[in-house]
Amino acid sequence: MADFVIRNIWLIILLPAVGTVLLHFLGRRIGEPWAGWIASSAIGGSFVLGLIAAMPLFAGEAEAHVVHVFDWIPALGANAELLWDPLSALMVLVVSGVGTLIHIYAIGYMHGDERFGRFFTYLNLFATSMLTLVLANNFAILFVGWELVGLCSYLLISFWFVRPSAAAAGKKAFIVNRIGDFGFLIGLMIIFSTFGTLSYSTVLHDPGSLLGAGAATAVGFLLLVGATGKSAQLPLYVWLPDAMEGPTPVSALIHAATMVTAGVFMVARTSAIYALSEPASIAVATIGALTALFAASIAIAQTDIKRVLAYSTISQLGYMFVGVGSAAYVAGVFHLMTHAFFKALLFLGAGSVIHGMGDEQDITKMGGLWSKMKVTAWTMLIATVAISGIPPFAGFFSKDEILGSAFGRGGWYIVLWAIGLITAGLTAFYMTRWFVLVFLGKPRWDEGVHPHESPKVMTVPLLVLAILSVIGGFVNTPFKKGLEHFLEPAFEGVKLAHEPEGALLWLLAGVSVLVALIGIFVAWTMYNRPEPTAEPLAAKAPNLWRRMANGYYVDDVYGTLIVAPGKLLSAWSAFVFDKKIIDGFVNGVGIVVRRISAALSPLQTGYVRNYALVLAAGIVGFVIWIIGTGGF
Amino acid sequence: MSDIVNVSYLAVGPEIILTLGAVAVLLVDVFRKPSPRVHAWIAGFTLALAGVVAGFQWTAEPSVSFSGMISIDRFGTLATFIILGVAALGLATAWGMVERLGRRGAESIVLVFMAAAGFQLMATSQNLMMIFLGLEIASLSLYVLAGISRERVQADEAALKYFLLGSFASAVFVYGVALTFAGTGHLSILDLRQFFATYVVLRPGVTLAAMAMLIIGLAFKVSAAPFHVWAPDAYQGSPAGIVGFMAAAAKVGAFAALARILIAGFPFYQDVWSDGLALLAAISITVGMIMAIAQTDLRRMLAYSSVAHAGFILTALLGGPGGLAAVWFYLAVYTVQLIGAFAVVSSVAGPMGAQSPLSDYTGLADRSPFLAGALALFMVAMSGVPLTSGFVAKFAAFASAWAAGYEWLVILAVLASVAGFFFYLRVIVLMYMQEPAVAEAPGAAPARFQAVGAVRWVLLIAIAVTLLFGIVPGPLLDLVRNALPL
Repeated sequence: MADFVIRNIWLIILLPAVGTVLLHFLGRRIGEPWAGWIASSAIGGSFVLGLIAAMPLFAGEAEAHVVHVFDWIPALGANAELLWDPLSALMVLVVSGVGTLIHIYAIGYMHGDERFGRFFTYLNLFATSMLTLVLANNFAILFVGWELVGLCSYLLISFWFVRPSAAAAGKKAFIVNRIGDFGFLIGLMIIFSTFGTLSYSTVLHDPGSLLGAGAATAVGFLLLVGATGKSAQLPLYVWLPDAMEGPTPVSALIHAATMVTAGVFMVARTSAIYALSEPASIAVATIGALTALFAASIAIAQTDIKRVLAYSTISQLGYMFVGVGSAAYVAGVFHLMTHAFFKALLFLGAGSVIHGMGDEQDITKMGGLWSKMKVTAWTMLIATVAISGIPPFAGFFSKDEILGSAFGRGGWYIVLWAIGLITAGLTAFYMTRWFVLVFLGKPRWDEGVHPHESPKVMTVPLLVLAILSVIGGFVNTPFKKGLEHFLEPAFEGVKLAHEPEGALLWLLAGVSVLVALIGIFVAWTMYNRPEPTAEPLAAKAPNLWRRMANGYYVDDVYGTLIVAPGKLLSAWSAFVFDKKIIDGFVNGVGIVVRRISAALSPLQTGYVRNYALVLAAGIVGFVIWIIGTGGF
Repeated sequence: MSDIVNVSYLAVGPEIILTLGAVAVLLVDVFRKPSPRVHAWIAGFTLALAGVVAGFQWTAEPSVSFSGMISIDRFGTLATFIILGVAALGLATAWGMVERLGRRGAESIVLVFMAAAGFQLMATSQNLMMIFLGLEIASLSLYVLAGISRERVQADEAALKYFLLGSFASAVFVYGVALTFAGTGHLSILDLRQFFATYVVLRPGVTLAAMAMLIIGLAFKVSAAPFHVWAPDAYQGSPAGIVGFMAAAAKVGAFAALARILIAGFPFYQDVWSDGLALLAAISITVGMIMAIAQTDLRRMLAYSSVAHAGFILTALLGGPGGLAAVWFYLAVYTVQLIGAFAVVSSVAGPMGAQSPLSDYTGLADRSPFLAGALALFMVAMSGVPLTSGFVAKFAAFASAWAAGYEWLVILAVLASVAGFFFYLRVIVLMYMQEPAVAEAPGAAPARFQAVGAVRWVLLIAIAVTLLFGIVPGPLLDLVRNALPL
């Protein structure tokens, strides 16, 4: 059974692909809610197949399977080949598992939308693309998945394209990702020119034999550029907050749980290359730490229920980068997994609140929802505690493993550990603020708003994710390193960083729990009051608060420095360079040929005798030519 | 050669089935006067059954039967597959014409089947006389198909011209067969190879003249310049529905015969014939591209473009046995593009229509987005843009010629392809960026065209094939790599 699925692992991709095609053509006719259930069962089927195929891996089998589907571009070493190893298995399970829950949730959330069927077409297309990305066995397939998830992200951010802000946000995401992809592609070209193939089997198996330290650093940096685009890290993170224009299930699935982790996954997948280059690894970790702190500080001052979570996602992705950059690949991927649980939960809960509040997204106009939305509120409490890093919830173990490994490496990494620790405090602070403002205190609702709990189809996924957020951390605790044993074969040949042990472990864990508790306590005292929206910090440091609320005006800076000159340049190329020079050349060729052609046209008279003459001349000429070259 | 005469019905299975299907259509038509739907069932069943039998051929051991006349090999079977596919798509495209013709609709089905059987014989025969027979069976069917409408003078004119010039070319071919026998005493392709391998020909003049004439006869059928003069008139004058089949099937059958004769029969003279083919390719590509640009009628443009494509396929053939995969890939994807393009043409001009002035297509995108989109894709594919099957086909063809040492031809072909963009893109620009021509009667809206019935499926299949093998060419390339002649 498991063998069969592994040998035909492409079935995992095929299921949502079939769903996509089916819904594309029949989505409108099938309509609500069956289009949603079809899409959900497609991705759910992938999850079940993934579980079956992962059984031998769970049982401790270490062998990686390469499944050849067909020859695609053999010259590039880019065949349709899939890789089934612990890392891809874990990613498949996270993507399809969380994906299934979010698909089901979306059936309730998208209720009544005009383009219900189309929404699920895109969701299934996304699942197809993401599963392709994680199952790839060469950089070409990876890149195909990479671009396709970008496309889906674009389609889904601007799903409500009649809203100008949604259309603009989609465009922004697409363009910013192009910048990242540019670096990524150059990296792939260097890989190809060095190894002569794009296949993982060659490239990632002992790359040091062909790749010098300098080249490894170059490749590492270029791949990092791609990763910062896709995973919304400094300086390319700007698209993710705007991506919240998309429907909330999309934010949960694509912009929190799965797609944005593609960068982290890619760094983990290419760990063999990063292991060759200390500077590249340090760059990954440093960018991650800075992003974590930077985004967390912005999250503090946001008032939109989803933008808080968006900046929080950027910040948490930063942690994952610290993990994979410290060679703690297992820890990074572990955090990827637990984050998928609790951040998807947070977004779905936010969606439930938005749904119940009649599309209200401003948390200053919420409050007092605890009694109105019991299930949502309880699950959100669990998620908040989990992300804040309180044991024994899921976020604690993964975050602590990252911080511990960074500390354990020493040197510059100690600085990164300190930044991570501060960020942990900020995280606990802004998440508590978020929770208190939304659920506690007195209602500050607009008139005519009657909050209500969401239907079962939405709350059941919340409950499942809440359970995962509670227990998800136990797969890899300092006492029983289950995930580490599971993933170790995928990082064969790479020296993994480990958490410190013994007293130091307890000390570090104690410090980070203490920091988290301080964050929660400070936020609690500040906001759990009769007048919570007065923002005590804004009164104390109004300038800083304004900057944080506006994301340090990064968007404006980019607008002046990059977008405006860019627009000028493209206007020049379109209206001057292209029109005068390129068109002139092309039209010139066309016109010359056209003149010749018009001059020759009269030869085609339409008279059979003339045609026969041409034929006869051709025959005589050709026979003479052949005999002339071959001998008489 | 063994003493036992091998008779394998499997070797001619698809042809027998096509013939029986043709007879069945005729008999049912005479005795039952059924609705076209019944004919459609019979035709579909016949083609499917022939396809299944061809599938058995694919898995069978290569062999020769009927005293060395017919062979079973993957080369011929692949040609059979493509011709059957072309016949199915062609008949579906022409179905509007079949229905419109009433009683004579059945005749057109019969003619398509006979033509397909003839072309398949050309591809599977091991003997020059059999190839000639196949050529004539197919050609005569096509002449009649070209003139089947009988309502319009242009169609009659096109059919008559096609017939006269085609007879001329057949005469040259059969002369080539005769001279081959005169020069070597053999007509079987395998015997020819044996002969050249065993004996030294001191005065090869007769043999070479024979080879040249065989090439010319087939070059006429594939409309390679300078033997293409019939093509524009035939493409333009024949009923729109059936042109796609006529052009595509002829290319497959004739190229298969050409490749088999030259590669299996005359490998000894490869230097000579590949130089000759390179010359024809160069002329075809140049003439086709240049003449296509000045055309104001879409069908004439497609005719000249098919001249250029014949040149590209000849370019692929220069690689000898190693270039065969490129030839097959090109034929498989180009015939689909061609039929797809003519499916659009027949939707716009009507199934019986002659003439397709480009002005019919201005602003088509607004009126018939599906047709315009499909035609745009086929134009893009024919011009060889990446991610369409046309790019892979051209790339493989050029690589084959480059490896054979014809760098000059590849450079010429690439330049011509660039020039070709001009007229392919012109159609797209017309459809998407220009207002429709002002209607003659004031107030009359420009006509909307729709792909009806089976034509819709033809277009969808052609679109799918064109995109699929553009993005994932690997499986098809693997498949055609196995298609070598005995």
